[in-house]
Amino acid sequence: MSRCGRTQQLEAVATGEAPVALATELRAHAQHCALCRHELNWLESETAMFRQRAGRDEVAHLWAGVASRSGLEAPRRWPRALVAMAAAAALLVLVGRVESPVPSLAVAGTSEAMESDALMSPTLFFEAGAPCSKLPLGVGFQCSQPVPASFLASR
Amino acid sequence: MTAVLQLLKRTQPITPETPDEALVRRAQAGESAAFKALFERHVVAVRRFLRDLLRQSDLADDATQETFARAHAQLVKLTDHDRFKPWLLGIARNVAFEARRVRQHDVLEEEDDVPDAVIPSPNPESVLLDAELEKHFTEALSVLSANRRAALLMRLDHGLAYEEIAAALGWSLATVKNEIHRARLKLRAHLLPHLTGERP
Ligand SMILES: [Zn+2]
Repeated sequence: MSRCGRTQQLEAVATGEAPVALATELRAHAQHCALCRHELNWLESETAMFRQRAGRDEVAHLWAGVASRSGLEAPRRWPRALVAMAAAAALLVLVGRVESPVPSLAVAGTSEAMESDALMSPTLFFEAGAPCSKLPLGVGFQCSQPVPASFLASR
Repeated sequence: MTAVLQLLKRTQPITPETPDEALVRRAQAGESAAFKALFERHVVAVRRFLRDLLRQSDLADDATQETFARAHAQLVKLTDHDRFKPWLLGIARNVAFEARRVRQHDVLEEEDDVPDAVIPSPNPESVLLDAELEKHFTEALSVLSANRRAALLMRLDHGLAYEEIAAALGWSLATVKNEIHRARLKLRAHLLPHLTGERP
């Protein structure tokens, strides 16, 4: 630490908290005072390291946890798989319009009910006549076929 | 009348220029958007502070959420409305210390010897915190006792004034200064081999 006893002032210079006049004065002083120069070098190096380190973090996902613990509303988000599914389906509907007649849904050549893994699959095809009920719950595009009330009640 | 004023206040938009103090008052009045704005403004700092204290990312994530949840619950008690950040970091430090106690990973850190020798100083213009230096930087921080590290981080990383640190940690001003001084010397001794020479 500076034996000039100006460590705290030098610190304010390094962090940019000091008024310009004081910063100018202390920098000029440090040119001639080895102790203050030494201290200022360190303070500025530390500040540089902390600044470079800051802002590298990804934290956006933490709000949901705070909101649920605090009873605040969490942002409504679709699960990733459903977003991917909706995007893939929208794309295929567009492609389908160009290449084929009215599509309906089947998964990669099988007529089995969709498993959650399949939601991420890019190989979704629409075939005429397949019911909308095969769409996973919450997928956000319009269904042109009526969904039976009994089906809705079963969910 | 008060209700009308409150409603008017609430309709004021929240911008980056809205001071913490105003956000705290609005959040205390029950405006959740104001609390969310405080979260967004400080979450990066709180998360980094906790990661530095806990040295584990998943624990830091959980502790960050707990810190803000507690802050939300205790916000009505905050009377120094312009001291939100020191108050928040004080809560974060308590959460971290509780987590450490629960984990019982950390042994009590003994009072360490602080190097007293005069060491060369680096050239601040050539300090580049690449992955290698960041590793040494993290190591150097982890050598410090948790309390000392908390004080140092509050000052150097989070820009709190010495008085604010004293209030947040419940220490005297003299203790804060002494702890930060010792922390610095230790940090420097550890970093020195990895930094390049003195500025001419
Ligand atoms: Zn001097």
